[in-house]
Amino acid sequence: MENNQQQGAQAQSGPYPGGAGGSAGAGAGAGAAPFQHLLQQQQQQLQMFWSYQRQEIEHVNDFKNHQLPLARIKKIMKADEDVRMISAEAPILFAKACELFILELTIRSWLHADENKRRTLQKNDIAAAITRTDIFDFLVDIVPRDEIKDDAALVGATASGVPYYYPPIGQPAGMMIGRPAVDPATGVYVQPPSQAWQSVWQSAAEDTPYGTGAQGNLDGQSMEF
Amino acid sequence: MEDESHNNILPNGFNTGSTESPCLKTSTMTTQHNNNNNHQNHSNKEQDRFLPIANVGRIMKKVIPPNGKISKDAKETVQECVSEFISFVTGEASDKCQREKRKTINGDDVIWAITTLGFEDYVEPLKTYLQKYKEIEGEKLNIPKQLRSEQRLHQHQQNHNNNHDENNNQPFNGAYASSNLISQPPYVPTDQKFSLPFSPNSIQNQLRQQEQIDSVGHWYE
Repeated sequence: MENNQQQGAQAQSGPYPGGAGGSAGAGAGAGAAPFQHLLQQQQQQLQMFWSYQRQEIEHVNDFKNHQLPLARIKKIMKADEDVRMISAEAPILFAKACELFILELTIRSWLHADENKRRTLQKNDIAAAITRTDIFDFLVDIVPRDEIKDDAALVGATASGVPYYYPPIGQPAGMMIGRPAVDPATGVYVQPPSQAWQSVWQSAAEDTPYGTGAQGNLDGQSMEF
Repeated sequence: MEDESHNNILPNGFNTGSTESPCLKTSTMTTQHNNNNNHQNHSNKEQDRFLPIANVGRIMKKVIPPNGKISKDAKETVQECVSEFISFVTGEASDKCQREKRKTINGDDVIWAITTLGFEDYVEPLKTYLQKYKEIEGEKLNIPKQLRSEQRLHQHQQNHNNNHDENNNQPFNGAYASSNLISQPPYVPTDQKFSLPFSPNSIQNQLRQQEQIDSVGHWYE
């Protein structure tokens, strides 16, 4: 499934609740064939990421070792004066939610760096990911406007092409429309790096399953005592 | 911009001087955190507002190709984004608790807030995660182990140790076989030309036979 683009295309419409996202995406993806192909590839990569996360969590059995410190999460939560008491499960759940958040934000940022043929993730890549993703609107104030100016034309193109507030099902379509402004110059040359990244990500994900990492971490900690 | 190598982990995230030990109370199936903070230092430090940059960087590398790099300002930006994400979701969950006249934010409130704020892809994985957590914690109420694990995590971070397996403490299995050699003094028989008063051994008998043969030969000559 991961390497079959046709099955990937079919899976596009399946998981979306309440409607077929595939048709909306196809309809809104009006443009040259190479660019549409690139956009579909990027969407497939994100969908593969979420599919992998669902499988990973199904096999989790260790809630003692987290990627993020629970005490620090709790401290950030209690920075809000209205927050009184927090159950033990809330920071543990947040540790997982923050991990998913970091992973999604990093993938979307790397896609932008890849489009510009860079191998180093920079701040403006994160700014671009925030600008392009609706659910990241609450982060707009974190990145300075100088970083966002580079994509001002992109935002304008998106606004003119599609209504700003798009239904969740149509979100991929909105994102897809935003890309043609950038792709014409480097559309043909960007495809190979994306494919390479895709295969690398798959192998990297397989090489480091979450359970094994946690197990190793636990053993490491035990040795210290 | 300063670029960092793939394996370079900065210790900035571990420079916090305060050791945090959260206190947990047990009431029925839910454990609650007491509102009275036991932190020695109540000031809101710069470092305490963010998650450690090393942890954030480690998670980011999971989805970056091996030859890709992450600049330091990119990591710092994601640090800020994560704190904003926590505050954003917590605020929504807290509002819901207040409307329902409840004081404790639990896991379901967090998931509800994440759903309301549009993170739909997160909902299914987190529901599964929370369900599994409740199953495991329901089977064994091991609050002390949980605390111990957290303390280990803190000490682990303060020591600036990387998460790698250490095999240096394996026991040395050297099988040494010791055998007791039975050393016997070599027996060197000495030829004695003179006859002894007690019974002679076989060698002396052979010598006498040779003498008899010689005498017989000499007699024939």
